[in-house]
Amino acid sequence: MIEFYEANKDILLFSGAAAVKVLLFLGGVMSFTALLTLAERKVSALMQDRVGPNRASVFGLALNGLFHPIADAIKMILKEDFVPGKAEKLLFTLAPFFALVPVLALFAFIPFGDYVMVFGYQLELQIAEVPLALFYVLALSGLAIYGVFLGGWASKNNFALLGALRGAAQMVSYEVVLGLTLVGLMMIYGTAGLQDLVRAQGALLFGFVPAWGVVVQPVAFILFLIAAIAENKRTPFDLVEGESEIIGYFMEYSSMRFAAFMFSEFVEIILVAMLAATLFFGGWQVPYLYDTGFILPGGKALALNHYIVAALQVGSFSVKTVFFSWFLLVVRWTLPRFRFDQLMGLCWKALLPLALLNILVTGAVLLALGKIR
Amino acid sequence: MIAAAVYFFGGLAALATLLMIFQRDPVKAAMLMLAALLSTAGLYLALSAQLLAALQVILYAGAIMTLFIVALTVMPQAWRDHQPKNVFTRVLGLAAAAVLLTELVKVSAVLRTAVRNVDFSESGVLGLARELFGRFAFQFELLSLVILTSIVAAVTLAAKRREA
Repeated sequence: MIEFYEANKDILLFSGAAAVKVLLFLGGVMSFTALLTLAERKVSALMQDRVGPNRASVFGLALNGLFHPIADAIKMILKEDFVPGKAEKLLFTLAPFFALVPVLALFAFIPFGDYVMVFGYQLELQIAEVPLALFYVLALSGLAIYGVFLGGWASKNNFALLGALRGAAQMVSYEVVLGLTLVGLMMIYGTAGLQDLVRAQGALLFGFVPAWGVVVQPVAFILFLIAAIAENKRTPFDLVEGESEIIGYFMEYSSMRFAAFMFSEFVEIILVAMLAATLFFGGWQVPYLYDTGFILPGGKALALNHYIVAALQVGSFSVKTVFFSWFLLVVRWTLPRFRFDQLMGLCWKALLPLALLNILVTGAVLLALGKIR
Repeated sequence: MIAAAVYFFGGLAALATLLMIFQRDPVKAAMLMLAALLSTAGLYLALSAQLLAALQVILYAGAIMTLFIVALTVMPQAWRDHQPKNVFTRVLGLAAAAVLLTELVKVSAVLRTAVRNVDFSESGVLGLARELFGRFAFQFELLSLVILTSIVAAVTLAAKRREA
């Protein structure tokens, strides 16, 4: 046993650490997703001057609706699992997995902190340290289309198929913009790894402005946010679902299969929030906080313990994620739905030219500053 | 370890491709092609060509296959099963398949004697970019002209149909 451990020490420690990181990070994401389903209903209630869900209770303890996610889950599990007679059984079953798996896999690339020292080992707070993570983000988010499409097609229902076709057209279009907005970031920071990107954002511009993505690429941030909401298929881009007109690609789904589609939508909210924070708002960076503690631009310094610094950084990332998740909820309940020609016009006639222009301007500025070798 | 991964993904790609050929339903065939494309991406990953794997998924699985599938779905043919019309078409198809197979066997004979590069690894993003925008810049720009032509053609076709 001990010999086996000594012989395979590196790979055992590596897999052990990875397993712990997956459990902690994805566990946190999952719990947050469950809370987000409640937050969505509470935020909508708040904005429409209602009370919102507050009845589910345990031993008479309602806690203002905190048990509703659990009640929802129990309800979903107990519903009849229905498959339409004419449906393509295999693809109908596979579709919810196609919707959920790529999105969950994407969390592997997101750095949720810098690093912590555990028993003398330096543990990166990122599940998969991939140097080309940005490309993988684009690749996996592209695969999410198949969940929507298969769900609609395999149901053999014309409304569901309409939703699926809308979804495929919309997601392919906006993915182009999503990819182009990231080009400027890669040009400026010279890396496609998310952890490297966040570390590069820790630098200071003019000695006091943090070099966050939103500071150097403000246009790209706005375009990214719009394209990401469109990829997420939520109002104002919810034509795929369009509850009042076509119900959507998941029309024939019930029980946990439907829950998988709904859950993936909420997981995507968190993903978009985390990506926005990572790419444009410095990820886990806290302004003026370094390895050793705070160093203010004036020269004042406050030394901090390594673990306090790490906790502050993870906390900063969580706060940014929560903020953007809240922002996405508010956007959903504020804006009305686009018409389909408006949706396509916005993407191809407004966002795409702006994204290309942004790349051109970024390149010109980098050239003028002599940053291009 | 690497050899096992290569054989696994290679076998998966070959299996998916074979199943795709013998699949009558166009959308299911497209899904099998997607499986083949993804296994090819896995093959690239196993050979530690990370950029190539990502680009394979982004371009082929994410963009091209989606357009294929949408085109297949809006065609009414995708909802029906078509038997080949007469014997002549079948014989023609079999002949074409036989020609392709012999060509493939010929090509594979050359591959067997090819020198294997033991430490195969990707040159990296920077190397690829240097080649693309340095040595092959002209060809690369020519390619964009081809794409522009196809966009113009697509717009013309779409506009004609709207008038009718």
